[in-house]
Amino acid sequence: MTYHTLLFILVATAAMTAVMARNLLLSAIMLALVSVGASLILFDFQAPWAAVFELSVCAGLITVLFVSAVSLIRNEEGKVKDLRARFYAMPLVIAIVAVATWFYGIPFFDSLKNCALSGGRNNSLGSILWDIRRFDLLGQVSILAAGVFVINSIFPRRKKQK
Amino acid sequence: MNPILIPIILPLASALLILLISEKTRYIKELLTIAVTGICLLSAISIIASALFGVSMEFASAWAGSGIAFTLKADKLSSFLLLGLSLFSFVIAIYSFSYKQKGNAGWFYFNLLITASFSAGAALADNMVTMLFFWEGLLIFLYSFIALSQSGQNSKKTAMKAFLINGVTDLCLLTGICITGYIAGTMSMAGISLNKLTLDGWAALGYVLMLIGALSKAGAIPFHTWIPDAALDSSAPFMAYVPAAVDKLLGIYFLTRISVYLFTLNGFAQLGLMTLGALTILIAVMMAFVQSDYKRLLSYHAVSQTGYMILGIGTLNPIGIAGGLFHMINHATYKSCLFMTAGSVERQTGSNDLSKLGGLFGVMPVTAVCFIISAAAISGIAPLNGFFSKELIYAGTLNTGYTIFFIAAELGSVLTLASFLKLGHSVFFGKRPEALNSTREAPFSTLLPMLILAGICVAFGFGARLPAQFLIDPSLQGLGLVHTEAIAGFHFNGLFWTSIVVILIALINHIFGLAAASGVASKSSDHIHYAPGFKEIYAMAERRMFDPYEQTMKHLPSLANILYKVDRFFDYLTDDLPSFVANSFSRTSQRFHTGSYPLYMALTIAGIAVYIIFTANYGGIK
Amino acid sequence: MTTSLLAYLLIPLFTAILIPFAARKRQKLADILATVTLLAGLINIGAILFNPANIANSFAGVPEDGFALLMIFVIYLVALCVTFFSAYFIGEDSKVNRVPYYSLIMTSVAAMCGIVIAGDFFTLYIFVEVLAVTSFAMITSDDSAKGLEGAIKYFLLTFPASLLILFGIAFLMLTAGTFSFENIKIIIASGMPVGPVVFAVSLILLGFLIKSGVVPFHTWTPDAYEGAYAPVSAYLAGIVTKISGVYAVIKISIMFRLFEIRAYHTADILMFLGMLSIAVGALAALRQKEFKRMLAFSSISQIGYIILAAGMGTPLAILGAIFHLVNHATFKTVLFLNSASLEKGAGTSDMRKLGGMEHSMPWTSWTSIVALLSTAGVPPLSGFWSKLIIIIALWDGGAKTYAVLALLFSVVTLAYFLIMQKNIFFGKPTEASRNAREVRPAMLAPVVVMCLLIVALGVFFPYIYAYLVETIAARIIL
Repeated sequence: MTYHTLLFILVATAAMTAVMARNLLLSAIMLALVSVGASLILFDFQAPWAAVFELSVCAGLITVLFVSAVSLIRNEEGKVKDLRARFYAMPLVIAIVAVATWFYGIPFFDSLKNCALSGGRNNSLGSILWDIRRFDLLGQVSILAAGVFVINSIFPRRKKQK
Repeated sequence: MNPILIPIILPLASALLILLISEKTRYIKELLTIAVTGICLLSAISIIASALFGVSMEFASAWAGSGIAFTLKADKLSSFLLLGLSLFSFVIAIYSFSYKQKGNAGWFYFNLLITASFSAGAALADNMVTMLFFWEGLLIFLYSFIALSQSGQNSKKTAMKAFLINGVTDLCLLTGICITGYIAGTMSMAGISLNKLTLDGWAALGYVLMLIGALSKAGAIPFHTWIPDAALDSSAPFMAYVPAAVDKLLGIYFLTRISVYLFTLNGFAQLGLMTLGALTILIAVMMAFVQSDYKRLLSYHAVSQTGYMILGIGTLNPIGIAGGLFHMINHATYKSCLFMTAGSVERQTGSNDLSKLGGLFGVMPVTAVCFIISAAAISGIAPLNGFFSKELIYAGTLNTGYTIFFIAAELGSVLTLASFLKLGHSVFFGKRPEALNSTREAPFSTLLPMLILAGICVAFGFGARLPAQFLIDPSLQGLGLVHTEAIAGFHFNGLFWTSIVVILIALINHIFGLAAASGVASKSSDHIHYAPGFKEIYAMAERRMFDPYEQTMKHLPSLANILYKVDRFFDYLTDDLPSFVANSFSRTSQRFHTGSYPLYMALTIAGIAVYIIFTANYGGIK
Repeated sequence: MTTSLLAYLLIPLFTAILIPFAARKRQKLADILATVTLLAGLINIGAILFNPANIANSFAGVPEDGFALLMIFVIYLVALCVTFFSAYFIGEDSKVNRVPYYSLIMTSVAAMCGIVIAGDFFTLYIFVEVLAVTSFAMITSDDSAKGLEGAIKYFLLTFPASLLILFGIAFLMLTAGTFSFENIKIIIASGMPVGPVVFAVSLILLGFLIKSGVVPFHTWTPDAYEGAYAPVSAYLAGIVTKISGVYAVIKISIMFRLFEIRAYHTADILMFLGMLSIAVGALAALRQKEFKRMLAFSSISQIGYIILAAGMGTPLAILGAIFHLVNHATFKTVLFLNSASLEKGAGTSDMRKLGGMEHSMPWTSWTSIVALLSTAGVPPLSGFWSKLIIIIALWDGGAKTYAVLALLFSVVTLAYFLIMQKNIFFGKPTEASRNAREVRPAMLAPVVVMCLLIVALGVFFPYIYAYLVETIAARIIL
């Protein structure tokens, strides 16, 4: 339970940072962190497929796309005037949502308990990754490599321009 | 090698060889040609001898398949024709030996030999497609013969005229042969003759088309118009060889073949042919009468005499046909000789214009004698060869019962003689112009062929029995005609006295004309030329109002213009309209691709929406 | 997934990772490494495909599916041409950074091989996304404004595709419980409630249609191809967008055959979109003034032929689609590389500024002629046969209107290419053309090799056809 709570807190913090960060790159990385946390939680809840999806798509792919997109628009960053209001509104909104969840969310999810897959798949993270989706792992590696090269290709030029 | 192939292959090979011989060499080309044509003449004699006294030579070889074989057959008519053709090739080859105004010598002899080879092929061919092959080959070399005979532009123009007229009629011939071959089921003429066709339905069309081809080759009206032009725009040897001899021989030969050998004609066709013959005689001789150029006058006679042959063959009775064939060889002889005298005069004096010539008898006696003999022969003065062949034609015409054609033919004779009186008088008699005082007789190589031909005229006249027995009679047999009347022999019958009357009328006319033109021989035809009624017609003829070719050519631009407009319309339908439509679509699409991101995104999302709705509905989650 | 072909994926990936380390000091080493890797791979795959022993026994000894083998061959071929060409194209003063450029190309080769040997939709999807990321970065290689615009358009307009594919995969998981190709085939064969499965597959199909740039989802293509760094446009148009979109469309349409009548309407839409692409692409290409943009529209049009045939779905049509895919890779690479040569030699590929280039760049001119004739389907070049097969298949399959229209638009193809050829290579030289020089032989080599291949594929068509029938029709279409 402590493990879960810790993960939840991590995910929530990362998500808030992602929204509130002024540096878009930081936002993107935080978003990746959210995905990683979420996929770990999913693994723990015996939902390996969903976890693998989350890890592949959100943590890997989307991050790369964000990072590359961010790298393109970095030049323009300073020119847009920030809307400061969200920095004040954000905690408030989160607080309201948290309270609402406390009251309505927990009973709702309790009622869903019966619907959980009864069979369950007692596969560990390792066996899922290495036995079933081994080929996807190769995809993950490719994505990481691609992301690195994209950054490698785009960032030096940005520096040169500055 | 089969001797029947010699007259075809030998000249062909030598023609190609002649092109290889250097331009600078003298006499080699000439001597080679004379030798080759001489050999051909000898082989022609052997061929006809074998046809007359032995078995007809034949040659057959597989060719294009499906009934089209390369078959040559020297039957009596063909070998007679081959003999004539070889004879003229030989004489012309001698005649041109020292003749300068014949264009490039290499090309002249090349064309001469090729023409000799192809005409021999056309004469000997039994399969109609084989014949057509040689026939069309002649067409090509007709063009090059005329075009290369003079250096000017006029010869090219006339060559094109000859080519187009003969090209169109050869096309008719081609179609006719196809139709006939299809109906008869065989392309072999010998095969068709076993089971002759009659003139009904498609066969009639086939006959008429082939008739057009044959008449055009022979130079009958209205396909003759290139001949008078060629008289001015090409050389005398060419005129003496092709329009006077080869074309006549082949045209009349094929006319005889189709009219007697391949088809059984009816009375209507007989009437048509005879009318055409009579018209050709009269119209051409009227034109000839008023000409003032030596060769041009002769060329109109070449047309006019064709009329006699057509008339003779059109009678469809053995006597008439015998007359036609006899006239064919006679005409070739004296007309060739006449053209040679024209060439000889032109060579020695530099002119063919009657008004500039005169009194040449004193300086060119041999030429003058040859002229007189052949002119007498063409006019049908007894006892030269022309008299006998015309007599046969008259007899044949009278046999059919159409006296009007006989009268027309006699009228033609009058005018023929009258025009030759005028021609002879103005060239060889009368007062010699100062400029011509130093004129000398032509060289021996020019005189020899003329003498040979004039000799033949005399020989075939006095000894008319000889050609009748060995050439004409066997030809009739070859055609499968049986006759009882004697076709040779001199009779003091009505026809002879008629010819005397004709001579008298012509003489009177000439004297009258001379008097009217106050003694100038070259103007002795003016009283008819400028007579009321005739004057306008002649003027129109001078303007080529009656020349179908010129008229067509004149109206061609406007016709072409209309066709062009029609073509533009179809072009518009096939080119402009589609490209207009495509362009407008293209422009629309170009206008659409603005590069605007929201527009593109909207399109994409709309596409997705439609796709999903469609697949969900039909493929369906339902 | 086919494990035996995994090496074709792993080795380029390894090279991609190796390049930044190896070529740190000497940048030239990057293109040598890339070229050598690709050449080795090409020789390897060529040894399988062209081994006389294999040909003699109808490829009985090669267990892999022929489609994948053929595609790997084409991927390596085009990639090799592009890397070799780029090695000389990238000038000293260019903004292009060789190391990441070649790394990206190698990664994308790995990703394409991954797509080709993938055994389920999810793997396919992941590699397609890898490919999208790499091509996105490659488009902007030379950092031009147009390149950026093209890249962003490419990114944003194909983004819905990812969404739809993911959605479709999820739906497939819900309805069929699996997304492996083999399992889906088994499930369909067992007669499960198939409608939702068809819908799920249709969604995935839609995603790939967007990726392949079919009208009306084509809007990113002209901008991306025109803006991209010149050799990259050849790479993109020649192979990348074909593998990331069209390959999957063909794969799915092969599957559609199993649905029989139930996928009828989706197949109908597929054919309609194919025809629409042919028409719009060809008509739009007619009036383009920029060579690369015209080629982009031509590409849309040619993809239309493939999609049309795929929609037809008969074995013959699928064979035609596959062969046209191969041919398209060859001739479009030639034309795009020629446009790059023009940029290098004459400084522009704008038709309005060029003219009479045949004098200064004869090789470029002649190779263009070969390629454009093949595109327009002139015998005996390869394009003729693939179009012929497609049109025959359409006619036989009853889509006679489409067959006739396809034939008509191949005339339009010839028209716009001749307009191009006339404007650029024939006619009077303009200012820009007079100063132009032919590019160096090393840059011509890939183009000439491709042209020879075009001719060879056309002349040796019977062998190609035998290969298609024996390894593709017999093994995977059935």
